[in-house]
Amino acid sequence: MAGPAHNCGFKVSATGQTATNRVALQVEDLHVSYGSRRAVDGVSLEINEGEIFGLLGPNGAGKTSTLSAIEGLLRPDSGSIRVGDVDPRVNPAAARARMGVQLQSTSFQSNLTIREIVRLFAGLYGVALTRSGIDDLLADVHLGEEASKRFSQLSGGQQKRVSLLIATIHSPPLVLLDEPTAGLDPQARRQLWDRIERLRDAGRSILLTTHSMEEAQAVCRRVAIIDNGKLVTVDTPAGLIEKHKDDPRVRKVAHGEVTLEDVFIGLTGSELRD
Amino acid sequence: MSSQPSAPSIHSPTLSGILKALLGADLTVQLRNGRALLLTFFPPLAVLYGLSTAKRRAQLGGPIVNVALALTLGIALIAILGYTASVARDRELGVFQRLRVTPAPTWTIMVSRLAVQILSMLAMSVVVFVAAAVVENVRLDPATYLLALAMVIFSSAVFLGVGQALVGLIKSVDTVNAVGRLSFLPLVALGLFAHSTIFGTTFETIARWSPGGAVATLLSGAMQPAAWSADTWWAFLASVLYAIVFAGIGIRWFQWSTR
Repeated sequence: MAGPAHNCGFKVSATGQTATNRVALQVEDLHVSYGSRRAVDGVSLEINEGEIFGLLGPNGAGKTSTLSAIEGLLRPDSGSIRVGDVDPRVNPAAARARMGVQLQSTSFQSNLTIREIVRLFAGLYGVALTRSGIDDLLADVHLGEEASKRFSQLSGGQQKRVSLLIATIHSPPLVLLDEPTAGLDPQARRQLWDRIERLRDAGRSILLTTHSMEEAQAVCRRVAIIDNGKLVTVDTPAGLIEKHKDDPRVRKVAHGEVTLEDVFIGLTGSELRD
Repeated sequence: MSSQPSAPSIHSPTLSGILKALLGADLTVQLRNGRALLLTFFPPLAVLYGLSTAKRRAQLGGPIVNVALALTLGIALIAILGYTASVARDRELGVFQRLRVTPAPTWTIMVSRLAVQILSMLAMSVVVFVAAAVVENVRLDPATYLLALAMVIFSSAVFLGVGQALVGLIKSVDTVNAVGRLSFLPLVALGLFAHSTIFGTTFETIARWSPGGAVATLLSGAMQPAAWSADTWWAFLASVLYAIVFAGIGIRWFQWSTR
């Protein structure tokens, strides 16, 4: 397992992140299959409190399956997961109360307004919110004027902001984001990064999957590359470049100075994935 | 993005809080979809009127049975066509997956939906009872209306169970809709002839013990308690059995996602 060192105290990363060595999420030797196809093959990782951890991988590499197993949407074949000090298999409700989830494609009951959706999820997480409290939260993510609209009437960026607001409405210690900025324009992406960094600054631990090397470098303290269900490598973005810059597979695809994308393509191959 | 998010904390939602949130949302969705709901009220009213003016109405069982048949049709319509379509659509959109990653136990998600459907069926039943008083001159005392409404709940459980099994086992929205329409006709048609020997006694026996027939017998029995017989008790037991078996299948093997 490529986990962090187990000394106590704080670490400050190259991206300015502060992370403790208290573990917010621990996954060990996780295996997930769909029939005879193995989607996750022995993944182990640890995410520290206050850390943004990125899971990078091509399509079908096992990112969403790993997240789904952590979220309890998939039953793993084997392996263990701990959310803080809670085993989700023993106490799934307690584990879910400790995590906030933004799924890759989220939808809500089509006849509910944004305000009603927020009220629903606040209730499901046991958060007491008044109407003005909900409106304040929506105003905080620049959706104050959209409170009476349906989810389907929002732009892609607005929908992602609603999803992130709902994922964090109960102030969970652990936040799982599946491709949070996919399909967003640069402005919306930057806003969301800002929001994610604020969550980290408030002490949350964040596991996100992404296809964007820029995103991984901009917000993640550590990044794991996953392919064919296996973790290929884990380190800080700068550490990954340093570690693999002389790998012949990476050198072969690099155009000049080695980038994180060169490392990614070099380690996972150039062929198209479905 | 102005203010700083609050520090991490762990909330412990209560079961009653979860159910209240789900019921509030599901009820809002149902009420906001009022036009579709009102449309489901028309077929039972049309059947009630049609049966009341039919030439061979006596062979179908009389006014009380006509009301029971109209209720059976309305309940089946809401459960087999309305409920299954809404669950299949929300599943395809990913609505259930989003709910499943909250602390809400999965059964509460389904119970809330089913409870709202039962409320719709009770509303439809009240409309049919009012129409029956006008069209068929069927007027019951308050206790009998209450008994009939209680049996509407049991009858709803039968058809919602069938709908749950259907939408639980079939993933595709289109297939759910197609199979729903296909199964709706025989279910209702069998109920229609549960008290008729038009097609012979063998067909009547089969029809009487089908889900639709058992419900029609139960509802007509509830509306005339003095004539409540062993057959009504058997229809009640059959209804409970159908509800448990179909709902059990639909919940046990429910496919939460279309993947």
